[in-house]
Amino acid sequence: MNVIYTLIPGMTFLGLVFFAIMIWAVKKGQYEDMEGNASRILQDDDEDMMP
Amino acid sequence: MNQYSSPCSSGCFHCGLPIAAGVNYLASLEGAERNFCCLGCQSVCAAIFEAGLQSYYQRTPEGVLLAPPPEPPKDIEIYDFDEVQQEFITCSGDLRDIHLLVEGVHCAACVWLIERRLQREPGVQLANVNLAAKRIHLRWDSSRNKLSNLIRVLARIGYSAVPYDPENAEGVIQKANRSMLFRLFFAGFAMMNLIWISIALYSGANKGEFREFFHWMGFALATPTLLYAGYPFYRGAVGGLRVWQLTMDLPIAIGLSVTYAYSTYITVTANKVGEVYFDTVTNLIFVILIGRYLEGMFRHQALSATNRLMELQPRVATVINEGKEQIIPIRGVKLGDHVLIKPGYKVPVDGIVLEGHSTVDESMLSGESVPVNKSSGAKVFSGTVNANGALLVEVSSTLQNTTLAKIIRLVEEAQSSKAPIQRLADTIVPWFVLVTLMCATLTFLIWNTESFEIALMAATSVLIITCPCALGMATPMSIAVASGLGAKHGILVKNGLVLETLSKVTHFVFDKTGTLTEGKMSVAKMHTAQNIAGKDVLCSAAAVERYSEHGTAKAIIAEAEAHHLNYRDTIVLGFHATAGLGVQANVNGETVLLGSAEWLIRNGITLNAGLQAQAHELEAQAMSCVYCALGNVHVAVLALADKLRDDAQQLVNELRAASIGMTLLSGDRKAVAEAIAQQLGGMEVIAEVLPQDKDRVIQRLQQDGKVVAMVGDGVNDAPALIRADVGIALGSGTDVSVESADIVLMHNGLDKVRLATLLSRRTLLTIKQNIGLSFVYNAIMVPLAMMAKVNPLVAAITMPISSLVVIGNAARIRNLFKNEKS
Repeated sequence: MNVIYTLIPGMTFLGLVFFAIMIWAVKKGQYEDMEGNASRILQDDDEDMMP
Repeated sequence: MNQYSSPCSSGCFHCGLPIAAGVNYLASLEGAERNFCCLGCQSVCAAIFEAGLQSYYQRTPEGVLLAPPPEPPKDIEIYDFDEVQQEFITCSGDLRDIHLLVEGVHCAACVWLIERRLQREPGVQLANVNLAAKRIHLRWDSSRNKLSNLIRVLARIGYSAVPYDPENAEGVIQKANRSMLFRLFFAGFAMMNLIWISIALYSGANKGEFREFFHWMGFALATPTLLYAGYPFYRGAVGGLRVWQLTMDLPIAIGLSVTYAYSTYITVTANKVGEVYFDTVTNLIFVILIGRYLEGMFRHQALSATNRLMELQPRVATVINEGKEQIIPIRGVKLGDHVLIKPGYKVPVDGIVLEGHSTVDESMLSGESVPVNKSSGAKVFSGTVNANGALLVEVSSTLQNTTLAKIIRLVEEAQSSKAPIQRLADTIVPWFVLVTLMCATLTFLIWNTESFEIALMAATSVLIITCPCALGMATPMSIAVASGLGAKHGILVKNGLVLETLSKVTHFVFDKTGTLTEGKMSVAKMHTAQNIAGKDVLCSAAAVERYSEHGTAKAIIAEAEAHHLNYRDTIVLGFHATAGLGVQANVNGETVLLGSAEWLIRNGITLNAGLQAQAHELEAQAMSCVYCALGNVHVAVLALADKLRDDAQQLVNELRAASIGMTLLSGDRKAVAEAIAQQLGGMEVIAEVLPQDKDRVIQRLQQDGKVVAMVGDGVNDAPALIRADVGIALGSGTDVSVESADIVLMHNGLDKVRLATLLSRRTLLTIKQNIGLSFVYNAIMVPLAMMAKVNPLVAAITMPISSLVVIGNAARIRNLFKNEKS
């Protein structure tokens, strides 16, 4: 059972890391435009590069 | 082969809307004939092909219907001035950053088109479209390209863009709300983790070898939660104490500190008997933060009213300098300059007319919707709108000294001097705090004779259990539910706190024009000479007025439309208008004259004595009369008046039945205001008032100890709306009045005032019930705590239950309007 001495603090720490990542993402504006970037990736702009 | 998947083959090639019969906009693009629904679509499509970006049409997702391009924005040249740009750009120098709000963006293809097109312009370094918010983030080199040019490029491909300031639009309060949301998230995260640790402790770990480990884990999670998420409570409590006020934050802060300190003491001393309450600390913070967050969402954003007022002030003026027109920023205009005001533009300064004749819409200052005639020697005011003729004006005051600036100052003054709303819960809190502290002290003293350990535990549990969770949720939860219900029924509650105040209102003040009345002239009565059919007169009059721009014309045409008269099929020749007198034209070979009595006399027509007597009678009732002559014979008198709204009478009757005082406040002439009050069954009338007087009338009523609600719709009502205990604006009102008000009635339903009062009464009742519930909870739990019978498990179960009961009770408000149709 001694494993919980590392497991519980470890999981809590991991949770904190995810929380910090989420705050960072929100502040960076990553949630501001959910549609635009989703479709931007599908636009092929390499027509002139094609043989 | 049709390689471009136009949304629908029979519709417009650009937007896909069906093409109306008889419309013919054809263009030959890459050898194929294309049909368009309008000129806008055609030119936009041509511009897209010209730029070689035609694959836009391939990128448009199947089934997405585009819309015809929106109107391009007007006067975009003013955005080239540094003074104007200063408000929007984030960095100075040649490289500039700006956010544009775009109209006409529908799908990902638009994003592609805009970004591609802008990046081709010289000097553009970054063009990033935010599809969800319909915004463009633009970075460009202002030495190489003008902003107005970029906006024009966007207009050519079918998008209308205007600069805006995201900082300003988002607002300080919204930012505060966001930081509150982060704290809420964090408290939620800590609470969920602590629940597992608590479950372990309750299920037996509090006796075994892991007891201390779990205590320290609780300590590790609760400490950052208390410091970060609980910070607003400590700040509020200290802020309250500084001004000698016991706020709701104080008992929360005391409860949190004591609970945390006691649990830490048990943890650090590795005490074998005591229990830790770390889960209670995080639970409390989480639940109360939910209440605070809800409260924050319904806070009134007071700053924006002044911002809206500033927007009314034009930023540039056309100055005549040595015979040349010159557009200069408003700050550069000096006293005595000659300024040209074109038709359709806003008056940029206060001044005196030198040349020209026009009508000016001064509704923002006077509240009167009928435009005022202006000719040389007349005064014009900044922010009003010049309707139909060019005016040359000599500047008499600018910027801070204009009438508009005075209103802005009034609004600011009203905002800063208005007493804060006293909430019911706030009045109870000081007593609550005192009683709690006394109970805790008493408990400690009594138990201390037996054992110090038990005394400490019992006194702490009194403080923990009384922590006003339910009391803190009582008001915000009720207001949140009531606001949601109001919004569903067309009552937009902008400042939730006034829901408590509205039920206590003892005096209503109404603006006249646009609030109790419809705010536009209509034909109220018509008297004709003998043997003349009213319909014929109306038909001929409408035929003439069709060519007039005057306010009277609209009323007469509307009346003819209402009677389904066929006035359009007449032949009208030689239309001629004389400003301030009347109009004249030849309808189907007969001369028709419409205007004042003097207008008819000047044209050599003798007035009909009977009709003239009737006209005098109508004028005594404050209606304005239009004389009408057909074939050089005076045949009719039309009386024009501003009609009452349909639901005004009902509202006034109900308020009178509830013995609530009423005052009619109007910038209009006394006789007109009196006539309206008479129609409504009489009330106190204060007429011919200026915006500052409206504010003063409200102040006077408040000094008499009355709780005042103001209902208004104009810019000139803004100071009064803010000053009043409850400001109610109509949805159709000016932006400024909507921003100044606490409650906005959508669809202009005056009867909604009654619903809002009902809603307010119910909200206050629910708040009282909730406070009662939290007292019942305390009456049960405090004696238990004083008997040292409360352990962490009991606290963890009962405290959320008390909050849930309060939330459930608040949710019952939703049933209020079940019998009202929405």
